[in-house]
Amino acid sequence: MKWLDMFRNWDKWVTRRFPKVKLRCRKGIPSSLRAKAWQLLSNSEELLRDNTGKFEELEREQGDPKWLDIIEKDLHRQFPFHEMFAARGGHGQQDLYRILKAYTIYRPDEGYCQAQAPVAAVLLMHMPAEQAFWCLVQICEKYLPGYYSAGLEAIQLDGEIFFSLLRRACPMAYRHLKKFKIDPILYMTEWFMCIFSRTLPWTCVLRVWDMFFCEGVKIVFRVGLVLLKQMLGSVDKLRELQGMYETMERLRNIPPESIREDLLVQEVMVNTSAFYTADWGSIPT
Amino acid sequence: MAKQYDVLFRLLLLGDSGVGKTCLLCRFTDNEFHPSHISTIGVDFKMKTLEIDGIKVRIQIWDTAGQERYQTITKQYYRRAQGIFLVYDITSERSFQHIMKWASDVDEYAPDKVQKILVGNKSDEEQKRQVATAQGNKLAKAYGMDFFETSAFTNHNITESFTRLAELVLQANKKDLDVLRVSINDKLNLAALEEEEGVCDSSSDAQKTCWC
Repeated sequence: MKWLDMFRNWDKWVTRRFPKVKLRCRKGIPSSLRAKAWQLLSNSEELLRDNTGKFEELEREQGDPKWLDIIEKDLHRQFPFHEMFAARGGHGQQDLYRILKAYTIYRPDEGYCQAQAPVAAVLLMHMPAEQAFWCLVQICEKYLPGYYSAGLEAIQLDGEIFFSLLRRACPMAYRHLKKFKIDPILYMTEWFMCIFSRTLPWTCVLRVWDMFFCEGVKIVFRVGLVLLKQMLGSVDKLRELQGMYETMERLRNIPPESIREDLLVQEVMVNTSAFYTADWGSIPT
Repeated sequence: MAKQYDVLFRLLLLGDSGVGKTCLLCRFTDNEFHPSHISTIGVDFKMKTLEIDGIKVRIQIWDTAGQERYQTITKQYYRRAQGIFLVYDITSERSFQHIMKWASDVDEYAPDKVQKILVGNKSDEEQKRQVATAQGNKLAKAYGMDFFETSAFTNHNITESFTRLAELVLQANKKDLDVLRVSINDKLNLAALEEEEGVCDSSSDAQKTCWC
C-alpha cells in the first residue's frame, strides 16, 4: 500500500520526501512491485515514454557483426542455471540478444561490453525487453557512466578510489591486500561491473539493486567495502588466507552462507557516516 | 611448514572471447567440464602443481576475459608471465586470424624470454571445423611455437599442452637457476665467466674460440 501510494504521486515523493523513499528502498522493495519501482527510480519509465517506438526502430536495424558475434557467444553464459536463461535459444536468451544488440545500435560509439550481459539478464528477470532496455540505458549512462566503454578507464579509476577508501574503512583488509599485491582490479571488476549479480546470494543481489537504483554508485562502493570487511576484517579470517591465491579464491567465490541479507544491508547503512567523513567529499548523501 | 614446491611459474591464457580458455583451465586443474558456465569478466587464476624431471613445479595459471576492451586490464599482467597459451577455436576462423594480434601484443608487453604455445581448442567439434590442423601447424611453425589441438570437452591433449608449456618455461629458466647456483657455490667460476664474456665483447675477432 505504501508503495502503491508512492507510485501514484511519484514526482511529489521524490522531490519532497526523498529520505522516506530512500528508507523504504533500504528496507527492500516488495518483489511484486520491484520492476515498477526500479523503472521509476531510474527514470527509465519516462525515457521510454519520451521514446515511444524507438526500441522497435533499433530492433529493425542490422547491427554491426563485430558486436553481434561477441553477444551471441555470451547468451548462454549468463545465469545458466536460471530457468529463464537455461535453454539455448529460449525466450530469455532471445530477449537478451535483442536488448544488447539494440544498445550497440543506440550507442554505436560504446558498442557492447561483456559485463552488460549479466546486468541486462537481471533486468529481464523482472521486466519485458523494451523496459529492460531503457533501464539498461540508464545504468550505462546515468548510474555507471564509462564503466562499459572501450578502454575501461572508469572502472580502473574506481578501483583505485575503492582501495583508498578501504584504507580508512578497514585497515586490516587494506594491509592484507597490499601485502599480497592483490590489485583492486583483480577482485572488484566483476563485483562493480555486474553490480554484485554474480557475487552475492540472490536475495542480497535484489536488496543491493533496490538501494542502488535509489542511491546510485555509492551503494556499490559501500557493499564492496562491507564485503572486504567481512572477508578480511579479522585476524581469525586472515589466518586461513595466507597467500595471494587463497585470498583471491575467497574474494572471487564468497561463501553464500557467510553473507546474511539483513546484516549486509545494515552494515551498508551503518557505515555510511564513517565513509563520508573520510573520503566521500563531494558525493551527495 | 614443509616446502610444497621447488619453483613457481605464472602462465597466462590468451585468446578471443568464447574460444574456451576457462574450460581448458577447469579441465586441467579440476578435471571438470561444465557445459553451463559464465563468461569471464576481468582476470581470474587457478593453481596446480606438476612434477617435471623430479622438480615440483607450482603453476599459477591466469585466465583472462577475451573481449578486446578488457585488454587495458589484462595487459598489465602480461609482464608477470613466464609462459603464454595463445588459444583459438578450431570452429572459428576469426579467432584463428586474431592469433596474430594476440601474438604481437605478447611481443610488446610480455617479457622477452616468455615461452609461448599455440592451442586450437574444441577439437571434438570436427563437423564445425573452420581451421585445418595444417593451418595451425603452419602458423605455429612460423612463430617457432609448439602446437596442440585440444578438447576441454573430451579431455584431449589438455595435460599434454599444459605440461609442455611448463617444461618450456622450466628449460628457459634452468640456465638462470644453474647460473644462480654457480654464483652461490663457486664465485670464482662466475667471475671467470664474466671475464671471458667481457673479452668476447670487446674484441670478438681476436677470440677464435668465441662463436657469438
